[in-house]
Amino acid sequence: MLILLDVVTTAAILFIVSAGLLAIFGVLKIINFAHGAWLTVGAYCAVVAARLGLNPWAALPLAFAVGAALGTVAEWLIIRPLYRRPLDAILATWGLGIVIGQLITLAFGRDVQITPNLLGGTVALFGLDYSLYRLFAVLAAVLIGGSCAALLEGTRLGLKARAVIMNEALARALGIDTARVRLATFAIGAGLSALAGVLLTPLTSVDPNMGVAWLIGAFMLVMVAGGSFAALAVACLVFGAVQVLVSTFVSPILGSISVAVLAAVVLRISPRGFARA
Amino acid sequence: MSKSMLLSSALLIALAAPSAHAAGAGPITIGVPVGLSGANSVVAPSVVQAAELAVDEINAHGGVLGRMLALDVADDASGAAGAQKAFDSLVYGKKVDVLISMETSAARNAALPIVSKGKVPYIYTSFYEGHSCNRNLFVDAWVPEQQVPPIVDDFIKDKGAKTFFLIGSDYAFGRGMLSFAKSYIEKSGGKVVGEEYLPMDGSDWTSVISKLKTAHPDAVITSTAGGAPNVTLTKQMRAAGVALPYANLAVDEGTAKSMGADATGIFLSASYVTGIDTAANKAFLAAMAKKFGADEKTPNDLSVPEYEAVYLYKAAVEKAGSTDSAKVLEALPTVSFDGPRGTIRMDKQHHAPLTMYLGQVQGDGSVKVASTFKDVDPGAQCPNLK
Amino acid sequence: MPDRSTATRPGLAPAVLAPVALALAAAALVWVAPEMLDTFSVNVLTRSLLYAALAVTVDLLWGFTGILTFGQAAFFGAGAYATAIVLTHLGSSPAWVLAALALSVLVPMALGALVGWLSFHHGSTPLYASVISLVFPIVVTQLVYSGGEWTGSSSGLVGYDTLPLDLPGFFRLAGIFAVLVALGAWVFVRSDAGKLLVAVRDNDARCSYLGISPTRVSALLTVALAGVAGLTGFLFAQASGVVAPENTGFLFGTELVIWVALGGRGTVLGPVLGAVAIDYAGATLSGDLPFLWQLILGSAFVVVIILLPDGLAGAIRRGWTRVNARRDAAAPAVVALPAAGAAAGGAEPLLVVTGLGKRYGSLSVLDGIDLAVRPGELVSLVGPNGAGKTTLMRCLSDGTEPYQGSVQVAGRNTRGMTPERIVALGLGRKFQVASVFDSLSVADCLRLARAARDRPSPLGAAATLRLPAASLDILRLTGLDTALVTPVRLLSHGQRQALELAMVVALEPKLILLDEPTAGLTKAERTTIGTILRRLTADLGCAAVLVEHDLDFVREISTRVVVLHGGRLVLDGTVAEVVDSDLVRAVYAGAAHA
Repeated sequence: MLILLDVVTTAAILFIVSAGLLAIFGVLKIINFAHGAWLTVGAYCAVVAARLGLNPWAALPLAFAVGAALGTVAEWLIIRPLYRRPLDAILATWGLGIVIGQLITLAFGRDVQITPNLLGGTVALFGLDYSLYRLFAVLAAVLIGGSCAALLEGTRLGLKARAVIMNEALARALGIDTARVRLATFAIGAGLSALAGVLLTPLTSVDPNMGVAWLIGAFMLVMVAGGSFAALAVACLVFGAVQVLVSTFVSPILGSISVAVLAAVVLRISPRGFARA
Repeated sequence: MSKSMLLSSALLIALAAPSAHAAGAGPITIGVPVGLSGANSVVAPSVVQAAELAVDEINAHGGVLGRMLALDVADDASGAAGAQKAFDSLVYGKKVDVLISMETSAARNAALPIVSKGKVPYIYTSFYEGHSCNRNLFVDAWVPEQQVPPIVDDFIKDKGAKTFFLIGSDYAFGRGMLSFAKSYIEKSGGKVVGEEYLPMDGSDWTSVISKLKTAHPDAVITSTAGGAPNVTLTKQMRAAGVALPYANLAVDEGTAKSMGADATGIFLSASYVTGIDTAANKAFLAAMAKKFGADEKTPNDLSVPEYEAVYLYKAAVEKAGSTDSAKVLEALPTVSFDGPRGTIRMDKQHHAPLTMYLGQVQGDGSVKVASTFKDVDPGAQCPNLK
Repeated sequence: MPDRSTATRPGLAPAVLAPVALALAAAALVWVAPEMLDTFSVNVLTRSLLYAALAVTVDLLWGFTGILTFGQAAFFGAGAYATAIVLTHLGSSPAWVLAALALSVLVPMALGALVGWLSFHHGSTPLYASVISLVFPIVVTQLVYSGGEWTGSSSGLVGYDTLPLDLPGFFRLAGIFAVLVALGAWVFVRSDAGKLLVAVRDNDARCSYLGISPTRVSALLTVALAGVAGLTGFLFAQASGVVAPENTGFLFGTELVIWVALGGRGTVLGPVLGAVAIDYAGATLSGDLPFLWQLILGSAFVVVIILLPDGLAGAIRRGWTRVNARRDAAAPAVVALPAAGAAAGGAEPLLVVTGLGKRYGSLSVLDGIDLAVRPGELVSLVGPNGAGKTTLMRCLSDGTEPYQGSVQVAGRNTRGMTPERIVALGLGRKFQVASVFDSLSVADCLRLARAARDRPSPLGAAATLRLPAASLDILRLTGLDTALVTPVRLLSHGQRQALELAMVVALEPKLILLDEPTAGLTKAERTTIGTILRRLTADLGCAAVLVEHDLDFVREISTRVVVLHGGRLVLDGTVAEVVDSDLVRAVYAGAAHA
């Protein structure tokens, strides 16, 4: 039972961390290697919110707004010139990540920052004391996944984004301003990444390098998921389960690299990953 | 930040105190390679401050053999590659007379070949996993043989603990500390019911904590990499409702304080805590506060050995009568200094017996000393060195 | 090829001499430098020079072949660790040093083979190769951390006995090694074999259809450069006296890419200068401004990637060529190959298609196709847009496409075969949009078409270009024979089509597939192509399958016409039977562009 809870909550955390990266990759076909930096920016929004004496929950909208605003600028300055050079986009966003990390260091210092917990304590569930926050993470993942799906399925922007995903040239021919769709998607994806940064703060310390630890895992999950949130959810559950099971029954060290290794193998066998459905 | 960057950047402190003896002789330069960036960047500024205070005090009293002391600080980026650059720069570029520094084990190891080739004495002032041996290397900080026994003894005798769970980061310090802890626990009649590691940059302790809860031990001992992994593990353990006697081998007073409520109740073992009730420590704290004011970084178990090592070097140079490396190396194990941590003498195979303090973090973040262990021996660290 | 060496030797001199002269000068500089530099610089530059050699290997993979890799750091680390582990745990006698040297090359090469196998397979994407190169150092670093006493875990290994050299000695060793690696890279990329790398980067599909396996080229290059990186690691372990986990890590891999990007990818000198300058500057400056230095470097990296994709060296080179009209290499002399023995006429069909079907989900694109094509036949495949013509061509030339039924080329069932293996059976394919190598010259493209038969020299550019007579005819008829050194990107649409056809013909195929070879060509060009096709089939006994909309052209040259409609083969007969049939009229009635 404990293992099952661990699997579900681990999958939820992986989903939260990867959602922003997936939104961008799905529509733009660009890997945002500055994703880690956006997670960090989000977490520092929680630090700032705490310093301003705001309610810890207020950091969530703040981080989304800051992340989306930064995303807009980054799309305009860095991503837009590189749409036709996806490998170069990886490098440029990695460089952007270095720059953001150093700017955060200059502003806040290297020190580990501590933020107030969003939710503390444990609840009794199935006869176990389980972390309340981890259970909340499942709810947060469902909310994020649900609102992304609603956005894609139920709004004009979502319709346009799906058109761009399927066939960009055709979408442009139909009079869709694809540049704006890309800009909006990148901003939303960046906002989601920053939001995820806040949601991570109760689990981790906040420091200028915190995002890098999550970047590779999120990147591999998104590669396996292709462009779909449903596939991402499946990938998170499968890989989360593998990570927890390997950690529990073999070794946590192997568990921590299992996502990356397994994703590489899955992609070798089936280059389209879980997105074939 | 800009202030501490100024402090930490390479600067020469040469007080304009022209003394009769000093005519013609330049300052004695002390190289301080530390991790201004990377994993050690949080604690490094406090180490630099401690060195600056020691140099200031010594210079104010006429220097060493009539020569002033000067500091040369270099960033080693807390790693091997950065340490090579920093030591190259200090040993070959700046031609320093001695190296006194707190560094990661990777940085220290990377530096040892350079120190050997450059034939410069090197006083290492960071606690570490032990058994680093080199003719040029002296250590005035603790090793597992000194730090772990107070905790295990206390848990077994006072808390009645019989079973222990050990958690660490997968690196030399984490593994070294816990492997000594394990053998010491078993020697003391306790039992280790679990020993788990996560990579140094690992941030998801889910399964480790679940294993800990399933194993139902009497106590838990952790030894992670400093900073982020330590905070992450503590946060996740507290969120999971772990309320066992909890000793953290990698936490220092400053980190404990900033962790807030999550740190309350943690046991730590150190050769220095600010609350040591001696005249030497009080004088040291007062001098620090006076010199750095609002910019002062709280002195800690890494910065105080740096302060004392500068004095130990002074004593060795004075005894040797010169800064000649061979003579200084010969003198170093024979001299001692009465500092904030008590009397320090690096006479046990290049290591020093130390007084250890067992402390517990209080609700307000301060550390209360629970018991004191006089002059704990470092054991056989380097049997091949005399 | 007994005459290969004589064919290439005359070309070696100019191609190799200039780099060798420069390399000798650089080596001399490296030799005297320790006398003039202070100890600090000597020590730092020893490492910078080794990093420079490593940067060159990254550049060969990324700049020249288009494989963005972070994995060279792991091969380097594996070589360094192999050395340090042998010297620490096994011994440091000369025999063990030799063993360490051998292992430092062989272990990374074995790992390189694994990475190559994972990264490059039919259908793998460049992004996937980058993903593997990212995962690999992470795994290696983790293994090092978990290695306990054996690898020294986070503390690394230190204190083993190194080669008995002093600081200047190691500096010279590192410097000469870097010069040799750069020289080797320079000579190789300018050689005929080196053009393979650019060909793979430009157009891997065309490589496959020239019988060159791009996955094999990429994998072999990965293995070879893993060995070079491992050797660099051996020297690093010797010169620095310590190895640490960060030497193997993904972050070091990104640093290498940053040096190459700033210095100039796709040039040899750029990465060398980039690595040395940035590493040396980093060593000098990072002590004073640790955060600022990273910030400046990161910003410069972003700017260069966006604005100067080929780095500083690339920008300088472009400026240089703009000022000085480029002094082109002399065009190779074209030599006609003796015509291959006339194909055994008539008997066995070269292509047999039985019950071929292809579906995309519920959509059936091809259904129950039966077709046999014999030597000497020129079969035109007509049908309206969407009839499945191009899909059929793909199924015929790529056995990895999922389809039902069977396809036999020269008597072999091709199911599961990659295009390069089918090409080896004697198939050539020309695409609808000319598929050539934009960064290369006309002569280079043609030589690559011969690469599967006349193994290109890895040392220089051959003075002659040996082509089959039919291929030469195409060049002469289209005027390309006077434009051999022209870069392909400057060719006109018609010239590109002709070049691709000449390349396909240079393969000396027994069976040629052509997808609308005359689309967008002038009347004169069309006539030329028709002439050549007739000569190939009627005189040389090739078989050809031609997709064509232009019924006049079809009528002129075909021996047989098949009509594809709605995924089925509805007619198969002589020109007269088919072209004038009611069905074809009905099918094409609405097709205004026919």
